[in-house]
Amino acid sequence: MDETPILEIRNLNKIYENGYHANKDVSFSLPSGKLVGLIGPNGCGKTTMMRSINKMHIPTSGDILIDGESVLPKTPTEVAKLVSNVPAEMTASFGLTVFETVMLGRYPYLQNMWWETEEDESLVEDVLKKFGVYHLQDRALNMLSSGEQQRVLIAKAYVQQPRLMLVDEPTSHLDMKYKLDVMEYLRAMVKTDMTILVAEHDISLMARYCDLCVIMKKGELVAIGDPKKVITPELIQDVYDVSATVGLDEEGDIYVLPKRYHKQGELSDSESL
Amino acid sequence: MSEQQKDRMPTLRMLIDGHGDTHIARKRHRMYFILGFGTLLSVIIFVMMLCIGPTGLLNPIEALSNLFSAIGKDGSEMTPEEVMVFSSRLPRAIAAFAVGFGLSVAGAAYQAVIRNPLVDPYIMGVSSGAGTLAIAVIAFDFTFFGLISSNSVFLIAIAAIIGGLFAFLLTMALAHRAGSTTNAYVLSGVVIGLVFGAAQTIMIVFSGNKVSDVLLWLFGSFANITWEKALFILVPSIILCILIMRYAKEMNLVLLGENQARQMGLNVKRFNAIILTVASILTAFCVAFCGIIGFVGLVIPHLCRMIFGGDHRLVLPASIALGGALMMAADLAARMIIPGTELPVGAITTLIGVPVFAYLLFVRGKMYNG
Repeated sequence: MDETPILEIRNLNKIYENGYHANKDVSFSLPSGKLVGLIGPNGCGKTTMMRSINKMHIPTSGDILIDGESVLPKTPTEVAKLVSNVPAEMTASFGLTVFETVMLGRYPYLQNMWWETEEDESLVEDVLKKFGVYHLQDRALNMLSSGEQQRVLIAKAYVQQPRLMLVDEPTSHLDMKYKLDVMEYLRAMVKTDMTILVAEHDISLMARYCDLCVIMKKGELVAIGDPKKVITPELIQDVYDVSATVGLDEEGDIYVLPKRYHKQGELSDSESL
Repeated sequence: MSEQQKDRMPTLRMLIDGHGDTHIARKRHRMYFILGFGTLLSVIIFVMMLCIGPTGLLNPIEALSNLFSAIGKDGSEMTPEEVMVFSSRLPRAIAAFAVGFGLSVAGAAYQAVIRNPLVDPYIMGVSSGAGTLAIAVIAFDFTFFGLISSNSVFLIAIAAIIGGLFAFLLTMALAHRAGSTTNAYVLSGVVIGLVFGAAQTIMIVFSGNKVSDVLLWLFGSFANITWEKALFILVPSIILCILIMRYAKEMNLVLLGENQARQMGLNVKRFNAIILTVASILTAFCVAFCGIIGFVGLVIPHLCRMIFGGDHRLVLPASIALGGALMMAADLAARMIIPGTELPVGAITTLIGVPVFAYLLFVRGKMYNG
């Protein structure tokens, strides 16, 4: 394995203009070819950190290195060739087709050219086939189901040929089948040396599919490591303030079953309800 | 594309797409089709504009020979027919073509940046601002406090350009304060437009016997176009359209949303500012000499998207061809439908365009879902 980490975050701090300290001295590194789950409650700084990584905003202090080089002095186009991003949801206006949407992933490589090349087209076709959306290529993106749209968005991020892919809550709108579908595609993609960082609320899903988990709470890094070792009832209690059962099923896959947030009798005693 | 889809494809689609197996090949063929068919259509209607008019009909050979002989004489000592073709019909055709493609390209640009299919070139308040100062000149002989001669043929046009750009700057300033989001642009444009609209209404009430001149300007017309005015529309329109065309790829990118476009390396705020500014200057020039002509800037870009797909590398050149051609055809109709009376060209563009647009909406309207 390559010794240089694909992503290295050093003492990352982000303080917004309103004084909110969203990332507090976060440091960790990720090796190449890994599917990494980014877990933490709403507002714990996951999205802020992702936006720092792809330079959507500039961190207050600290550094972000990809393949050993800081992204901070790089141009937006250079960063786009290193980091791609899959949004939680997206509506393409004016009937952009699936093919056209995925082809837009080649934009960072197309400076000063009017049309994409034949090589770009064959790359996009291969990726459409890999992601099982080749037959939908002439359909408008906004005519597809949520699950199909999510696959198209991942395909677009993939043809950007990044070193690191950031995926923000990919399964939040999806049913059980498509949740697994998306995670299996992400799992298959890291067979190349790309690393994928997925922010997601479904801890069982993350624990089952990810090689590593990064756990955050109130802007700070709480833990990083093998999900089977890191995810414990104590950690869930600490991070989410929720009591949970963490177990292994008969195939050895980890599952997390949240039990309760409020203490026994707390709500039924309340006169305000 | 599957074999089954190809088999079902009508002949027209084959003509537009060609036999290419790849998307790029099909898009290239569409571009050739737009260039070829667009040029042919524009030339045919352009020549018709030279041949047909209330002052007499010429056959195309007569019209062209009069045109070339007038050019040979350098515009002096011309016969009445040469004057009719060279000094009256030719500048009018050029102006109609330039305003048609200028408004269409501006409309396509605004729609892409604001990502709203209901947007037209007048969304940023340009037409309202232009109209307000134009009315001030027409009804109240406003001469910019004596800075411009009241005899200047450009007085109304200069007033309209200044008014349009002033309204645009107010809109941009308000939108900037509101966070430069697409909704901020639209809402700011609407608010500024309303303010200038109210000013126009008040001025119209006090415009006395000039009210018909004011209304004629507001409806839009190519009746008073001279050579100088035609060139003043054509040259800036070409330059500004080329500037907008350079950003065709980026217009595709922003369709994915501002965050995605930024993440792909585009400086979205700068892009929005450039395109909105260029499109507004373009609109101001189009409105300045001919008044406010509606419909073209809203509908032509959609017409092109429905025929050639949503890729702006095709939508923009197609808007040039179809916008220019439709505007010339509309002007021809405006002059000829009732002999001796010139109808407002804006009403004609709407009457010609609506049935075509309604048909396409019926057939391909689903592309706007979601």
